Amino acid sequence: MKKWLLLLIIAVLAFLQLIWPVFLSFFNCKPDLLLILIVALVFYFDFKTAIVFAIIAGLTKDAFLPQVFALNTILFSIWGYLIYLLSRQISIEVVYVRSAIVLIAALLTNIITGLQIINSGLIIPLGIFLRSLIISSIYTAALSPLVFKLVKKLAA
Amino acid sequence: MGLLKRELSGIIFYHRNMMQAERLYDEVDALRWQLSDLGELNRENIRLRGLLSFKQRSPLRLVAARVIARSFEAWSSSVVIDKGKKSKINAGMAVIDLQGLVGRVIEATDNSSRVMLINDPSQGISSIVQRSRQDGLVNGTLGANLIMRYLPEDAQIVKGDLVITSELSQIYPKGLLIGEVINIGSDFSGLNRFAQIKPAAQLTSIEEVFVIIP
Repeated sequence: MKKWLLLLIIAVLAFLQLIWPVFLSFFNCKPDLLLILIVALVFYFDFKTAIVFAIIAGLTKDAFLPQVFALNTILFSIWGYLIYLLSRQISIEVVYVRSAIVLIAALLTNIITGLQIINSGLIIPLGIFLRSLIISSIYTAALSPLVFKLVKKLAA
Repeated sequence: MGLLKRELSGIIFYHRNMMQAERLYDEVDALRWQLSDLGELNRENIRLRGLLSFKQRSPLRLVAARVIARSFEAWSSSVVIDKGKKSKINAGMAVIDLQGLVGRVIEATDNSSRVMLINDPSQGISSIVQRSRQDGLVNGTLGANLIMRYLPEDAQIVKGDLVITSELSQIYPKGLLIGEVINIGSDFSGLNRFAQIKPAAQLTSIEEVFVIIP
């Protein structure tokens, strides 16, 4: 039952990201709520559930992006798997360590997305590239404790 | 005597006054909300009246639509509007607002459409400088300004020039205002120049748009 609620949370977070108010977007950057969710899933649910919902979250995000290639579906699954491996190696109980993991995942996602855009022949000025990369990633990490709380409540 | 009477009645009717004050505070709060709502309605009314008058004056066939969602992330620039195939909107149609060109429809469902804004890097708009007819290609940068590329070294372009869509464009009708030149520079090779264009449309805060039906 709780697992099905995750679908609702994915839909709500996707909707929130779509209607994210302009006054809360710093330099046109908004947080990646679905990325936080997939990181939180690894911490609070079993591996299989986390990967299945990471794929669903990735597909949801890709459905709302103009790019044809399902980059986020692949990236979210990879991050889910890698964070699962990491959680077996080291203890990740403290919230700020978890937020740091979200920050790293967000930075990597943004770097790969940005480079994919540049690789397809489009030009993004360096300043705007760095701005999107850094601000989006930090914003995502800053909001991660809120999504962690939500997923923790659901898993409890 | 009057002052004493007022003070005495203040003490005697203290409870009644307190209740009345509480009720009035609540009323003030409610009225403040109402005032804010009315202000918003008034601004919306002015915007819609402007849109209506523009639609009536324009020679183009226009469908008015409201922006209902924005880009999912910072790496693309698009909005979702509340009109789709049922309103005869299809992919490839140009989108404008009162100020100028906004973008083009890249995807349409029955009741909504996705519009790629002109500041998305995958946008390339064939354009000309209105004054000198100098042509170039306007690209989005994800930032607040656009870049007009492939301008020759002796290009007839100065700050303040207006840039419009050219007739070479397959998607956009000729003559739509894109923006104003705010800066001119040379690219790395030194062979071409580029111009920074400030879009005429307020891309970060658009609420209502028009889709041009060909």
